[in-house]
Amino acid sequence: MADNNDWEPKIVAFCCNWCSYGGADTAGMGRFQQPASTRVIRVMCSGRIDPLHVYNAFLEGADAVLVTGCHLGDCHYVNGNEKTELKYQFLEEMVKQLGLEPERLHLNWISASEGERFANFINDVTAKVKEIGPSPLKPEGVS
Amino acid sequence: MIGNVYQTVCPGCNIGCGLYIREDEEGALSIDFMKSSPANEGKLCRFGIKLPEHYSKAVSMVDGAQASVEDAVKAASDKLKGADVTMLNVGNTTSEESLAFKAIADTLGTVVNTGMGVYSELPSECHPTVGVGMSLSDIESAKRIALFIDPYIQYPLVIRRILKAKENGASVVSVGWRNIHLADENKFIDPDKYESELGLDSESVIIADVHPNADPGWVKRMLNLALKTGAKIIFMKPFVNATGVDLLCKGTGQKGLKEIMDGINDGSIKTLVTLDSDLVELMPNSDEAAETLKKLDNLIVIASRDSAVNEIANVVIAAEPQYAKKGSFMNVEGQLLKNNGSGTAGIDALSSLNQNLGGEAMESASLHNKVLEGIIKKITKPKYKELACEVMDIGSMEGAKGNLVFLYNPFMWFDQKDDNDFVMVNLNMAKRLALRKGAMINLTSEGGSVSMRYKVEDMPDGLILTAKKIPAVTEWVATVSTEVV
Amino acid sequence: MVEVGDKLVGYATDDEVRKRGASGGLVTAVLAAALEKGMVESVVVLKHIDEYEAVPIITDDVEEVLASTGSMHSVPVNLAKYAVDRKVAMPGKPCDIKAVIEQSKRNKIDLDNTYLVGLNCGGTMPPVLTKQMLIEMYDIDPEDVVGEDIEKGKLIYRTKDGNEKAISIEELEEAGFGRRKNCQYCQLKIPTNSDLACGNWGVIGDLAGSATFCEVMNEKGKRLIENAVEAGRIEVEPASDKAIAIREKVNGVMVKMGETTQEKVFTQMPDEERLPYYREALADCIDCGGCKLACPVCSCGDDAKCTLFHNLGDNYKMSMFHLVRLLHLSDSCIGCGQCTDVCPVDIPITRIQMSFSIPAQTRLNYKPGMNADEKPPFFEVMIQ
Repeated sequence: MADNNDWEPKIVAFCCNWCSYGGADTAGMGRFQQPASTRVIRVMCSGRIDPLHVYNAFLEGADAVLVTGCHLGDCHYVNGNEKTELKYQFLEEMVKQLGLEPERLHLNWISASEGERFANFINDVTAKVKEIGPSPLKPEGVS
Repeated sequence: MIGNVYQTVCPGCNIGCGLYIREDEEGALSIDFMKSSPANEGKLCRFGIKLPEHYSKAVSMVDGAQASVEDAVKAASDKLKGADVTMLNVGNTTSEESLAFKAIADTLGTVVNTGMGVYSELPSECHPTVGVGMSLSDIESAKRIALFIDPYIQYPLVIRRILKAKENGASVVSVGWRNIHLADENKFIDPDKYESELGLDSESVIIADVHPNADPGWVKRMLNLALKTGAKIIFMKPFVNATGVDLLCKGTGQKGLKEIMDGINDGSIKTLVTLDSDLVELMPNSDEAAETLKKLDNLIVIASRDSAVNEIANVVIAAEPQYAKKGSFMNVEGQLLKNNGSGTAGIDALSSLNQNLGGEAMESASLHNKVLEGIIKKITKPKYKELACEVMDIGSMEGAKGNLVFLYNPFMWFDQKDDNDFVMVNLNMAKRLALRKGAMINLTSEGGSVSMRYKVEDMPDGLILTAKKIPAVTEWVATVSTEVV
Repeated sequence: MVEVGDKLVGYATDDEVRKRGASGGLVTAVLAAALEKGMVESVVVLKHIDEYEAVPIITDDVEEVLASTGSMHSVPVNLAKYAVDRKVAMPGKPCDIKAVIEQSKRNKIDLDNTYLVGLNCGGTMPPVLTKQMLIEMYDIDPEDVVGEDIEKGKLIYRTKDGNEKAISIEELEEAGFGRRKNCQYCQLKIPTNSDLACGNWGVIGDLAGSATFCEVMNEKGKRLIENAVEAGRIEVEPASDKAIAIREKVNGVMVKMGETTQEKVFTQMPDEERLPYYREALADCIDCGGCKLACPVCSCGDDAKCTLFHNLGDNYKMSMFHLVRLLHLSDSCIGCGQCTDVCPVDIPITRIQMSFSIPAQTRLNYKPGMNADEKPPFFEVMIQ
């Protein structure tokens, strides 16, 4: 299979426009080191994220999916992230029951100023996923 | 009762799955599961679940204008008297109507064609085996099963029989086309090697199929394989009553669909009468077929649903929908499957037509008795000898060219829209063509070209499989060139 | 007269109906009276075809209602969707009633105008397998059967020649026959979620076999009984303490059996085996869509995410259709088994779905199909 040192996992990160995308931006501007494994998908609010989008990401070849948004209480749309949290509970439970490794799915609240935190988060997830290898749901022909 | 419930049989293929069709107060259709039906235990494939999209009400017409059934029958008789008539019934309607249709053929001094041209290339000793080779439950008790069809796409209700056989310890070998999940081995080998490499014997079962576009050489090859190994063989078929039409309308000239179309084109066929057999739907190129049919002097269509050919016909004699008919069908095992409907509009119209042409009146009960006389009481052991045959070579080909193979299924035979508008290729071909996600493949053959979505499957390289009719390609297996769009 | 909470024993006044009924024809008479007196516009009943087949019909003809009397253990149909967008009275096993209540939560059925006559149920059986069982275990020709009963854990068949034969359900199920798999682990045997909970448990003495035990669960149930008594269609009397105790006991035994079976069926798989198991189990799917059509809780119709997000041409390792349904029914699957019944490739869909739904419903302390005012947890995403 893949050689752990050469293989770069594909990580899909859903980021909300106001906080976590800002955090990703800050991480870049602050030149914090992070691997080039992440594909960011910007949504207006983390509440937009449907668990089906997460499944779709896995089925298209993502090795890990990150759901990120504003800290609770800071949502630009008041309570969008509360809905995310509720949906995430169902999603996490189903993913666990399905047998997909828990290291592949994460929820994290990241504010726009937390650039270093964002970078550390990506580093952590990438390292963990490198250890456990490519996702079993990855289609043939996707590396 | 509010609305109506009909116990009937799915028209998709010759397995004859039992189901209920429900008509509510407004005439909207829905299906219901008939769990006590022995053929399928209520279960249905994709085509069966989508039956409400398939059925539609037919309307009698004379020269493009709505008419009463009586006027349509009269107009038809006027056109048929003294004419040289060709008749077609592929088996989409009841055995009773098929016998009535045959009676008309007798009155006119002609035969009913079933569109299965392959039968006329087979010695008559083979016909019983191709017609009713074994029962579906024989699959469950087999020790080894050789699959020459793709059950997931073509005849899905066969899958659970195979799964039961596997539970009982059977092994399954799939020969040709796609590597399928339920097979223990997937072999894409030369036909020469079938006897030596498939490991079949008298406790084995071969599942193949026969249809209007089948290659006679291929059917003979299958028959030889069964003969040499002692295995039982079943030929799956499209059209709910293909077996009924074959068994009951014996002595028919089995002209193929293509022969009929050629005959129209060269002028030797000028008058055509069809019974629930829409050539525009059946032929690979619908537009071309429609143009060809327009060349006829007289096209008379007896139809229980509103389909493409009704627009072109000179006369449409409308009957009740298939699910409402009083009548029976004969499935691939020779089992008699009955509708619980009471509609006799179709039989009455056929009887009327026969009388106008100088024949006798007919009615449902006596026709049904004739059907009972014709059903198979016991499946006979094969009595044919080895057949000389040549099978077309289906080898792998590298490069941009590919061999396109059609996986015939009910959506194809009825030209019914479905999500199956894609081709299947293997990963190497996808890489060779540098296919990206969302790209389409352009398939070009002599007849033209078409763009389709693609899906990567575990299958031999150089092969292109599809479950969708492609107008440009008219053979079962054809060479096409491909490029990425 | 009759009060909510009353436990009664009664029967149809029409001798024909009472005789043909599974236990006194009370349910049939109550439905007929509801139609006659205009409480409802139509009634959903099963139209008999033979011992092993019946088809649901919606009728406004009292005769058709009366003709439908009799229990059919080999007809595993779910009647809930026939009540959608109508004002009907209907009989229903506990799973039918659960589905009706779930449909009402989704605004497809108006419970105020739908009368639910619940039937006790120990389980139903697949018809084709049952015929095989009769031949192999009972040595009876399926065509000779004139009646069936379940009594004290035994399945009894009565034949044309006047004989009857009983075999314990446990023995039948060990041989692979008997009830459908989901019925074996179902734990709602008395339909406490309906308007009237009727059955033959607790009917003892000389009334055994010719009367129905009926518990009035709510106001609508009270109206149904009062209406049927006024119409002269039924006679009822209070059930004795002994009868009530026996019914409790039988129910207790049946529910316990269900619990035990559930524990046996839903074992925890080691984590690394789960995904391969689910992928393998769903691998034969032919995309017929039967499970979605048959599901009595599903109400999205054509605008469903499970079909919109899924296409035949998808190159995925698992089907989006199934992943979406597994998620969306985690909170609401009632375990009725219809999906498994109709799957053409024999995928045990109910068991797969329940392996997601049972933990989810347990964690959320939510039982679907019991209380129309309890919204499904997924709906709670509408935060005040």
